[in-house]
Order: sequence, then structure tokens, then C-alpha cells
Amino acid sequence: METETSCQNNFEMSEMLATFLGSTPLLEEAWRLCSIANTKFPGAYLVEQIGSVAYVAFSGRQRDSGSDQSSRNLVPLDAENAGLFAPLYRHSEAEEPIKVHNRMLKLFLSIFPRLQIQIAALMGKVKSIVITGQSIGGTIASLSALWLLCHLQSMSSPISTVLCITFGSPLLGNEALRRSIIRERWGGNFCHVVSKHDIMPRLLFAKIVNHVSKIQTLLNFWHWCMVSPHVIVTGLSSQLPDDLKDAIFHCVLKDLELLTQAEEPLSGSLFRPFGSYVFCCEEGAICVENAASVVKMMYLMLATGSPSCSIEDHLMYGDYVAKVSKQVLKARNFHEEGLPDSSYEAGVALALQSSELIDKEPVKDLCFSRQNSNLRKEVAIMAKDCLQMAQNDHKPNLTAANLAIKLSKIVPFRAEIEWYKTCCDEADDQMGYYDSFKLKGGSRREARVNLNRHKLAGFWNSVILMLENNKLPHDFDRRAKWVNASQFYKLLVEPLDIADYYRTGMHRKHGHYIDHGRERRYEIFDKWWRDRSVPDEENKRSKFASLTQDSCFWARVEEAREWLDNVRSESDVTKRHLLWHKIDMFEKYARKLIENKEVSKDVLAKNSSFSRWMEEWKELKS
Amino acid sequence: MDRLGEMTGFREEQIKEACSIAMTAHKSPEKPYLLEKSRTSSDVFFSFPGSWSVSNWFTRQPFGEIKIDRSELMSPKGNDNVATSLRSIGRDELATVNEGFLRRLEMILSNSSLQSEVEKANTERKQIVFTGHSSGGAIAILATVWFLEQYKSRMSPLCVTFGSPLVADFIFNHALRRENWSQYFLHFVMRYDIVPRILLAPLSSMEPELQQILYLLNQKAMFPIQGYIAEASKFFETVMRNASAVASHAACKLMGNTNPILETVASFIELSPYRPSGTFVFYTGNGKLVVIRNADAILQLLFYSSQLCSENELEAIAEKSLNNHFDYQSALQESLNMQNVVNLDHLEGLPLSSNGAAAENVATNMALNDLGLSTRARLCLRAAGEQEKQKLSNQQRMDKKKADIEAGLAMLEDYKMKSALCKVGYYDAFKISKDEDDFKANVKRLELTGIWDEIVEMLNRYELPEGFESRKDWVELATKYRRIVEPLDIANYHRHAKNEDTGPYMYKGRPRRYKYTQRWREHALRMPVGSSGESCFWAEVEELQLYRTTNPGAFEDIRERILNLEKKLQEWIRDKQISNDVFLEGSTFTKWWISLPHQHKSISCIQGLMNS
Repeated sequence: METETSCQNNFEMSEMLATFLGSTPLLEEAWRLCSIANTKFPGAYLVEQIGSVAYVAFSGRQRDSGSDQSSRNLVPLDAENAGLFAPLYRHSEAEEPIKVHNRMLKLFLSIFPRLQIQIAALMGKVKSIVITGQSIGGTIASLSALWLLCHLQSMSSPISTVLCITFGSPLLGNEALRRSIIRERWGGNFCHVVSKHDIMPRLLFAKIVNHVSKIQTLLNFWHWCMVSPHVIVTGLSSQLPDDLKDAIFHCVLKDLELLTQAEEPLSGSLFRPFGSYVFCCEEGAICVENAASVVKMMYLMLATGSPSCSIEDHLMYGDYVAKVSKQVLKARNFHEEGLPDSSYEAGVALALQSSELIDKEPVKDLCFSRQNSNLRKEVAIMAKDCLQMAQNDHKPNLTAANLAIKLSKIVPFRAEIEWYKTCCDEADDQMGYYDSFKLKGGSRREARVNLNRHKLAGFWNSVILMLENNKLPHDFDRRAKWVNASQFYKLLVEPLDIADYYRTGMHRKHGHYIDHGRERRYEIFDKWWRDRSVPDEENKRSKFASLTQDSCFWARVEEAREWLDNVRSESDVTKRHLLWHKIDMFEKYARKLIENKEVSKDVLAKNSSFSRWMEEWKELKS
Repeated sequence: MDRLGEMTGFREEQIKEACSIAMTAHKSPEKPYLLEKSRTSSDVFFSFPGSWSVSNWFTRQPFGEIKIDRSELMSPKGNDNVATSLRSIGRDELATVNEGFLRRLEMILSNSSLQSEVEKANTERKQIVFTGHSSGGAIAILATVWFLEQYKSRMSPLCVTFGSPLVADFIFNHALRRENWSQYFLHFVMRYDIVPRILLAPLSSMEPELQQILYLLNQKAMFPIQGYIAEASKFFETVMRNASAVASHAACKLMGNTNPILETVASFIELSPYRPSGTFVFYTGNGKLVVIRNADAILQLLFYSSQLCSENELEAIAEKSLNNHFDYQSALQESLNMQNVVNLDHLEGLPLSSNGAAAENVATNMALNDLGLSTRARLCLRAAGEQEKQKLSNQQRMDKKKADIEAGLAMLEDYKMKSALCKVGYYDAFKISKDEDDFKANVKRLELTGIWDEIVEMLNRYELPEGFESRKDWVELATKYRRIVEPLDIANYHRHAKNEDTGPYMYKGRPRRYKYTQRWREHALRMPVGSSGESCFWAEVEELQLYRTTNPGAFEDIRERILNLEKKLQEWIRDKQISNDVFLEGSTFTKWWISLPHQHKSISCIQGLMNS
């Protein structure tokens, strides 16, 4: 196949994205309110409306629950939390449960009743909401934004967008949380601003159990500093003992280093970043989305810092934000020699310059013990890799376009199955394609149909995989082309899957198809079809549908057949009655489908399973 | 070194004259326009004065823009129901323009002799040149487009503007390029002139300052004035900050951004819809000129060429950003004397760093330095160049598929012929689909669908060159495709009774590949909207037949529709757009027509065709 995409002309755009953010008033407004919340609203939050945007800013000084032994504990996000986050975990039964930071969840839940009322009051008044906060306030902001996104999904709301902006906030949850946020396409609603050396957003990457009391001291110190926002920060951390600073700094640095060396994200109860991270430095800012890149950047930037600045940087967001927005108006050139000529390489060099990870002479006052120029070189190389990794992610529109081409190549296989159905419908044995396929599974023609069935399944599974890994445009599952194609595929081919399931006796091993054998793709396609924007109009059919509109119809027939067999041998009267009732219900259902002409004519073929079942049932009833 | 004239297709004398007349127009603001005939050539100049009240720039929040169809000006005259050219054809998205400027042109046309003077010059075969400085330039642009849309004259008008604000969105530029009109527009911009950048900022961000600044500029138009540094600085910062948002948002897209945060954040702010179009000439400030045509790159230049080198520069540059607006005449004279002109063509290969350029790029590099373009700015220009290149390569890739399309159509033609021999016609044969030939035709149909859907996808994302939709070879191929294959899609639609669960084909089921290509033909031949519906003939037949079966007695209700269909069918058969196989004995159409009341049939205009 010819290459549909050309990749040689890539651009590195993590810096451009940060420039865009810096050009908007959002970061400055959010920070201004965070800083007010820090000084004036300890343990709470503040709401302000600017134009058609509402800002909710959580204070970085939050009440302490005291039970810090469990501070790093992750607890599952599930139905126990009053279903507040239901859309997040509904699809993930089989996977690792979504977990979030215990204390953050408790803090959020304690604020929630009032927050809910205030947000409800904003509906109708504003078009969009920014939820923001510094430090722990930012993590609560993340949870609030998650709740709001879940909440808005279930209702048609005038509020169209939610943006969460955090400043130097600790991590919130695990890999499963990150995944489900991506699955819901909410990754773009979270913007985490992290200053170059700030240790707070990196803290939860480390095993800090041995340092709980030290961290408590640190938190108290920060809280104390936040009370007066205009204090000069540099040198402030000299009020903390050096051994405390060193211990925390090296503990976090060491564990971060281990994390960046791991190939795969480690499973288990580990924190993972989600959303976009904006890393702010003196020289500029970059915006990175890929989680592995975020972790690496966190490490690399911290590695060039010192215990003192890692604590002071947590209090410097005002300066960083001001710098980022000021820089926009200034032409900034590449200071070093030897700018590469490739657009991509040059972009990387600029991004490295902005993130101050470029290979240059070490700055004097860094007191990083193992420091030598080799490390700086290493950092530059790793940072390059890290940006590359973020880059290779994807191009949704191109992927979708290429997928459309793949679809057109796979569609002839579907056409062949369609042709098979037509032939069976016309055949003398009058069985319809379901029974033909079930009966003659081994013969040549059926083998070919079976092959096509597998090809189509492979294709559609790959579509779902891409969608769930965020490789496709966000509205992909609402595009008519794909909704219609998947529906047609489902209606035509699922009966064959059912036939195969019962022919190979899987139902005896695993249970009936609908509950135990149905592929996930069909459930997803059901949802696409249900959620499509076209309202269902009641149209009377003048002839039988070309494909039975309930793609699980044959599975229901199979279950009904079993009931019919059992009812004959059942001696227990109540059980017998129950079966009788079930059969009756199915018959009513089937009759309604037929009456509405929602079945295809193969269902009514003289020798189809359904027709034979109906006859037996009639016999039994009479 | 190339001369400006050769590079732009405009004569230097013409530009100089235009500039002088454009500036003169300000001196008599009470006159809606000035007319001046060149003494040395056949040029007739129409020049418009600027207006200095906020309400003429912004009629509404946030950017004072409206869709082009809200004014009668921009539709072709005399041809009822022919769509305006100022849109994308397939996607049918209308251009957006500044309402204030458009209404002003409307007013000038209805209250002055402009139209009759223009018509006179046109009949006398004069070269019409619309010109203007400041917002007068914006009027000149719209007047030029109005002329192009209304008059099919042998001589195209020209448009030269100086420090004009932006007037329209990217679809406007898309349409200008597609119609090959872009070349008639030449826009001069001083490196720091704030006016061409003003409409990149929403009114809400600068309302009080804007009134002040416009007042100041109006004064300046008369005599030089000093002071106002504080206001100027604030205004400059606001406009540039918003320009930065627009430029960096556009640059992220050019660079192939995939991070969803871009669009989330964009929805929180007001991003200007205005985009440049035509050829731009930037004055570097030291006598050099930079000519550039790529609209994406021009947008980036508008921002980056005004960036500050250091923060202490702000006040000086802000002052310059106002003074520059009145420097056009002198700067033009200076640069025409110097004749140092650089053409920014091969954007994707621009030198990135300010010093190390290869020999052939030295002049370009110096010009970029003179415009103060940082490495980051140059990367954005490269991205704009790459995008243009990508569009061309997409087009090439589709051109290669033409042979596949032709082969597929030949196979389906063959199928059509064979089916006609069986006295049913391919429409009905396909609808019944009981032979292997039908199955094969279906596979072929699906293969072709893949190719055309790919084209549609690219058009939706504006990833093909602007001229693609008006290329004669593609319009013809598309028409051929539509006529042969759409009946099969309609047959398939009704075979699966999709009209019953989804709705009528024309409203609910018609694929975009047919809608788009029908519009291509209607645009190319300037036909009324919807008049090239021959490929949908069967859909109407199916609908009418369905009506007859569900309401057997009712004939009068659909009488008009039947008469209309018969009339059109007669024309389509005559023009060979539909072939005779629709009259075959076994065709759905024949069976349905025969069922019509005798009285109707006996006087029907296709009676003769049916009986032959």
C-alpha cells in the first residue's frame, strides 16, 4: 500500500502551544484569583465571573485531615462516591479500578455540597467555567472539574466547556484514571502549570512514607508563606533545616529517575499524570501532553535544580505566569551557535532552550552533588528523546482519513457477505443465512464467508482501539459515515458471530451469547447508534427490512429454544411457569418485530430456526 | 534584483499613482469616492476615504463580521439563484466579511455615481483600479470583489491598498485563490503599522482605546501630532497580544497540532476570524520590500514583524505603530528608488537563523532580518510553506487515481449496457441484485466510493489546493461519476429500504460525494443552485412511487411534482444526461408511469418517449 502520510516535515510544537496559552488572558486571570484564594479564603474557594466565563479558584491552604499515615493511599473511585463520577468508571469493569488520592477525595467531598449549589447557580449565567487552584487547591480543582464534566455529560447544559488550570499541584490518580479521562476525551480540559523545579507536583512520584513528618513540616511552611503572597521568595527556604530539604529532594529525585527508566508505566497503585503540562522556566515555557514525556520532563528539570529552589519554586507561580505572558510580545532568538536546519530539529533546540535543558555551561549556584557536564549533556539528549516521544503521538485527522481508505478496502468483504445472505435468502433449502452458516460451517463457501467475518472483525476492533487510544478525532464516533458503516456491519455480521458461537458450542462452555459471548465492539456500536444526532422518526415500513434491526435476534431465538426444551422436561411447577412466561414474552417481542417489519425475510424463511421454533411452540401450546 | 513591477504584475507608475490618490481621498471625507483618470495610461482610479469611527469598523461584538449572503452585493447579477463565488464550493461554506465596511460600500453604491462610473469605464475598456488607504483600502477590496462578481468583463479590475485593515475570513481568501482573483490584489503594509492588525483583536478588549486611537489617526491624516504615548502603548500591547493568540493558534494548526487543549482553550477566548488575502508587500523600514502571497504566512508576518526586540522598546514601537500608518507615500518613493525587493516564495526552505544562510539565500535572509523575524517566526513561515506543499502533493496523489476512477466507470458503463439488454436497466437490476454481475458492480461502486470519500474528507479540511474544485478535468470526471454511480447508490438505498428507517434519500441519505460534485458542476457552468440534479432522478421516482402506493387515489397532490419531473427528464434525455434505459419495460420508472391516470399520460410531454 502506498504511504498516505508524509512524516518527514514534522514540527516540534510544544513551545508554540505554550505561546498560545501565554497569549490568552486565562493563565493570568486564573493565577490572580488563586492568589486571592490563598490569602483570603483558606480551606475554601472563591467564585468570580469575568464576561461569560466563571472562575472557581480553590485556595492552596486546605484544612488538614491529620490522618497523614494514609496520605499516599489511593482509593477506588466508584459507586461509593454517590455516583458522582459514574461516566468515568462505567466501561472499565474488566480493567484495573480507577483510584484517586484518598485525602484529596475527602477534601473534595467535604466541599462538594456547597460547590454543587454554587455551580448550579452559575448555569445559564455563563458559557464556560475555569476551575483553578494552586498546590492542593489545584488537585481539588481537578476533582471538581472531573465531577463537573461527568455531571454535564448527563444533561444538556448551556455550559459548553470546562477548563481546569492547576499551579504546582500534587498528582491525583493512577493510570486507570488517566486512561478513562482520555477515553472520555477530557484530556484537553486539564492544564497543569508546573514551574521548573517545584517539588510539590513531583512529590507523589516518590515513596515518601519515611518522610511523612518532614513533608508535613514542608506543607506548613508553604501554607505560612501563602498567607502573604508578596513576600520575596528567594532565600526563604533557609528557614527550613537543610537535612529536611535534602532528604525530600533526593528521595523524590531518586524515585523519579527510577520511573523514567521503566519501559512501561508501572502498574499497581502508582500515581500518573493526565492532561497537558505547561512547564515554566525563566527562558520560556513548553506544553507537553504525553504522560511518559511529562514524567521525564519532571525528572530532567528537577535534576538540574537544588533542594532550596525546589521548595521556593512552589511559591513563584505569579512570576512565572507573568513572564510567560510578557514573553509573547518579544522576538526571542536562538542564542547558541549551530542551529540545525531541519525544521523539526530546530524546533526541538528552541524548546530545549525554553525549558533550559540545553547543553551549556552549568550555572554556578547549582548545588546538585553529582553535577558534571556529562550530566548536562545527558539531560539534553534525554530531553530531545522526550519531545520526540511526545511528537510521535498521532495525527487524528490523518489517521481518520487513512482509516476511511482502509474502510473502502474492507467494504468489499462485507459486500461479499451481503451477497451470501442474498443467495441464502433465494436458496431452495429456505433456511436463511443464519442457519445456513450455522449448519454448513465447514464447507467452502461458508469458510470464505467466515474468513471475511474475521477480517471485518479485525478491522473494527482496530478502529475501536485507535479511538480509545485517542488516535482519532474527538467527534469520530458521531460522524455519520462511521456510525452508519458500523451499524450496517453489526446488523449484517453479528448474526454470523452468533451462529458461530452456538455451532462451536461456546454457549455450553461460557453461557449464552448475549451475556457471555458478545464482543465489546457491538456494544460500542449500539451506543454510537443510540447517541447519533438524528432523532428517531417513526416510519412505517412497507416491506421487510433488508437486515433484522435487532442484531441479537438470533441469540434470543437460541435462548428461547433452550427454554422450550427445558419447559418440556421441567417438573417443578413454579420453574415451569417461569419458563412459560419467558417464552411467551419472547414470542410477543418477535411478533412485534415482525409486525413492524423490522426483521429481514430470512427470519421467516420456512426452515429457519425461528420458524421451526414457532411451530414447536405452537404445538406445545395447543 | 527583481523589480517590484515584474514580481507583482502591477506597474510601478500605477502603484505610485494609486498611493497618491488613496492619500488624497482622506482630504475630502465628504465625498464617497474620488475618480481620477491617469494621464499616461488607460487606468481609471477609484479611491475611497477612510472612516474613523468605531462603529464603521465594528458593527457588533466581538469582531463585527457577517456572512457574505447578508448583503445582495456579492451575488452574480441577473442570474437568479446562482450562488456567490465567495464560498467553498463542495462544503458550501460562505465567506465572512466585516459588516461595517460592507455596509459602507453598499451605501456608496446606492448614494453615489460609483456604479455608473465603473460601468462607463468598463465599457470604454479602461483598466479599473480600486484603491484606498486605511479603511478606505478595505472598501476598495470589497468594491473589487463586487465588480468581479457582477461583471464578466474582459479586463479584470485591480486593487491596491495601503495600510488596510483585514476585511474577511479564510474562506474569502480560499475563494479568491480558486477563482484566480488573488493576483488582482496588492496590499502594502509598513512593518509596524498597527492598522492592518487591529481587526485581529476583539472589540471588547480595546473599545475605549480604539475610539481614541482612531480619533488620533484621523487628526494625523490632516497634520502630524505628538503625545498619546501611554494610550498608544496600551493599544499596541492589546492588539499584539490578540494577534499573538491568533497567530500561535494558526501556527499550532499548521504544524499539525494534536493536543486537544488547543481547541479547549480557544473556546474560552475570542479569536479573530479575519485573515489576509491577495499579495502583500511589507516595507521593512529601511527601503526594502518583501513580497509574499501565502495567506497563512502573511498572518504570521503581521504578528512577528511587529514583535519587540526588548521590553524597553515598547513605547518607541507603539509610537511608530501609529506614525507608520502615514508613511506609505514616502516609503514607496524610497523603496522604488532602491529597488531592493525580495520575493518570499519557497517558504519551506527559508533560512532559520539570522546569520548562517546559504549564498542563494543571503538577500532573503537580510530581508527577514530587516523585518525582525526570529527563528520562531521563521519556523512558522516554514510551516505555512509546508502546508502549501502538502496540498499540492495531496492533489498529485488524487490525480494519480484518475485512471482508477476511469477504469471503474468503464466497468460500470459495461454493466449498464449489459443490464439494458435484459430489458430492466441497470438501476432495477442493481436494486434486485440477484446475479453475480450485480455483486461485482456493487464491489466496484464501493471501491469508487472510497476514492471519492477521500476527496470529500480532504475538501472538508481544506487540504487540497484552492483551485481543485474548479479544475475542468475533475469537474467533468465527477459529473460522469455522479451520473453513472449515483443511481446505484439510490438503488441500494431503496433495496435496503433505508428510506423507511432513515428518511427520503434526498434529505437524509444523499452522500456528500454527490452533493459536492453537483455543486462543482453548477459552479463551473454558473448554473442555478440545484439545477444539475440529473443523477438524483431515481430518488424522485422512488419517492413519487412510494406516495402512489401509500395514497393510491391521490394524484392531484403530486401532480406538480410529476409534471416537473417529466419536464426535466425530457431535457435530460435530450442532452444525453440520462440514457434511454429508464424507459425499458421492466424499469421502476416505466411501471410507475404506466400506473398514472390515463388522462395525464395522454397529454404528458414524455408520452412520445414512452411509446417509442
